[in-house]
Amino acid sequence: MTDTAPLISADHLRKTYRMGRVRVPVLRGSSISAQTGECVAVLGASGSGKSTMLHLLGGLDRPDKPTKEHAGSPTAITFDGREVGRFSRAELDRYRARDVGFVFQFYHLLPELRVLENVTVGAMVRHGRFGFMAQRASINARAKELLDAFGLAGRLRHRPGELSGGERQRVAIARALINQPRLLLADEPTGNLDRNTGDSILDAIADLKTRLGLTIVMVTHDAHVAERADRVVRLEDGLVVNDRDATRPTASAPVQS
Amino acid sequence: MYQALLTRKYLTTKVMPLLAMAAVTLSVATVLVTWSVMGGFLNTLLNSGRTLIGDVSIHWPTAGFPYYDDLCDRLEADEQIDAASPMIETFGVLALPDDQVHGVLVKGIDGPSYARVTEYADTVWWSPIDEPLRKDTEGQDPRLGRDSFWQGTDWEALAEAGRTLTEPGGDPAVVPGIELSGWNFRLPTGIYVPGAPAVASRTGQTNYVYEFLPDLDITLSLFPMSGGTLIEPVTRTVPVANEFHSGIYEADSRTMFARLDLVQRMLKMDRADRIERPDQPFVLDPETGELVRSEPAVVGVDPARVTTVLVRAAEGVPVTSEADITRFRERVAGVYAGFAEQYPGEMPDGGNISIRSWRDLNRTTIAAVEKETGLVLFVFGLVCFTTVFLVLAIFWSMVSEKTKDIGILRSLGGSTLGITWLWLRYGAAVGVVGSSAGLGAAYLVVRNINEIHEWLGANLGLVIWDPSVYYFFEIPSDMDWTKATAVVTVGVLTCIIGAAIPALRAGLMDPVRALRFE
Repeated sequence: MTDTAPLISADHLRKTYRMGRVRVPVLRGSSISAQTGECVAVLGASGSGKSTMLHLLGGLDRPDKPTKEHAGSPTAITFDGREVGRFSRAELDRYRARDVGFVFQFYHLLPELRVLENVTVGAMVRHGRFGFMAQRASINARAKELLDAFGLAGRLRHRPGELSGGERQRVAIARALINQPRLLLADEPTGNLDRNTGDSILDAIADLKTRLGLTIVMVTHDAHVAERADRVVRLEDGLVVNDRDATRPTASAPVQS
Repeated sequence: MYQALLTRKYLTTKVMPLLAMAAVTLSVATVLVTWSVMGGFLNTLLNSGRTLIGDVSIHWPTAGFPYYDDLCDRLEADEQIDAASPMIETFGVLALPDDQVHGVLVKGIDGPSYARVTEYADTVWWSPIDEPLRKDTEGQDPRLGRDSFWQGTDWEALAEAGRTLTEPGGDPAVVPGIELSGWNFRLPTGIYVPGAPAVASRTGQTNYVYEFLPDLDITLSLFPMSGGTLIEPVTRTVPVANEFHSGIYEADSRTMFARLDLVQRMLKMDRADRIERPDQPFVLDPETGELVRSEPAVVGVDPARVTTVLVRAAEGVPVTSEADITRFRERVAGVYAGFAEQYPGEMPDGGNISIRSWRDLNRTTIAAVEKETGLVLFVFGLVCFTTVFLVLAIFWSMVSEKTKDIGILRSLGGSTLGITWLWLRYGAAVGVVGSSAGLGAAYLVVRNINEIHEWLGANLGLVIWDPSVYYFFEIPSDMDWTKATAVVTVGVLTCIIGAAIPALRAGLMDPVRALRFE
């Protein structure tokens, strides 16, 4: 960890979902931050609130509205000095398009699109019709470069259904990086892969971090995966119970999914 | 940009939008075919309504009115009037050489002037033609003169006789409608081949023999009236000069033209001396001193009369719309009023005489067809409106199926508006493709509707278009491109409306829920 201001920080994150008449608190005041170029793993069991935390950090969801009860510990998400919680809808859309890249456990590729299109679609969303057309050549070149780096140069015209799980996840990472975001949010990126393939994906992420100086927040229930991060934030029942340097040994047992 | 890409992909890889497109195609095609046929039917009716009656008719039934030449001259002097022609309309009985007897509407006309007011000259059927009709691919039309049987026929002389209603020797002749006698076989190609059934025998046998009505004479009986009372019928045997084909079944099967002077004579409406009978039937001859029969004295002349004068508007004078034809009719009425003032006591005044436009004369039929067209369109429009709900249901289902895609796009920064536009655009694309296909299908059906109808008749025994019911021999097969544009636009709008609610649902979808959707 460094002493400079974090690229992203979230204080006292609270999120409650309604399940019928029942209110289920998923995050109960958790805080997290990540410095520029840092890889932070959020480790927790299923239902601990780690994916919800990722969605809040990425502007896909909004935290609970402030209440008098928590007036002393207000929720705040800050990205590069900007208060994400105060973003309008349009600003949130732009934030997701420009500053954040998402990688999901189940890849979430668009099945009708070919590999190259799945990667460039992120740029289409960001730049709009005219912006994309103006930069089409450079965007395509970047997409091919990313896919080539992930060993998918020969798969550009394939559809997701024709790829293996590892290949799909690499395409998803390439899509997340097409707009050159500063923050990569990965939700169980290896959760659907075997150990070897998962390791290769983690290697790719580590390489990106090193080469591009990317800030990464990665949630996982797998301690083995978490160990690859610079720092591990342990989440239990919506609360951060441990925040430590991943290079230091931990006293607690690995979390089981 | 991503909307265009995904619209294209969804359109080409999914079955459901094809169903929506098929629904739109069928709806658009149905409405267009119906509207084109009904609209074409109405147009044909409107146009043909003027084929044999001109633009305005001045009519005083039965008794008729004199000095019609003066009236025609006055009318033709008006700059808005192109021509005027006298006519007598009456009913008669026609006996054919095979003893068939028909009640007919007889129109006594002056061929050349009548042809200037109406399209009569073009309706004279037995005229020379250089090219076969469009569908007569085998060139079977007798008028082509290709068959040796017809090679000796002087078609030009026949046509001239038909146009003037005068035999080469100068005798007055008649021109019956081509469907009147039943002696002409109409082939599916639209041509007529003469042939008469021989007189039915007692054994129930009939043999078909070639008989050409213009070679024969018919017997015509008319019923002159005097003072509102029927007097002795007058019967004449007259030659048939030709036959006419207006395309209106009603006219072609029940009307016969005859030369005006013939009809005037038979109805006793020709020029005649006015006589005064003496008070005493016998008088004493001053020279011989004997009683002799007293002779009626000629005290004047009764001019020839007609029941009708037809008027045609000059080139460029609008007479199609209700307002235009009303304006023109009033102008004709003004000329008539000036004419009637010249002959006080001899002419019906302007308030009594019937001055009616072609629209007035066809009003019942036109109104019926207009109403029928509106009703059919309303019913089909209502049926097609269900397409909105069909598209809505299909798009609702597709949005559900594509929930995860929506979540992915939102995670990539896709906005509510962007996602909504994706689905609206998709709906519009389904509408454009479906409506265009519908337009194409409708065009093909409308253009070939008569062939399709013939095929249905020949193979399935379906006769939907009976000329004796629908007035015309052929189903109108012209597409009105203004209407087509309107229907296609409505087709596209239908899809956009149907897609609007699912699109809004997609746009407002919570991205986290969408991503977690299973």
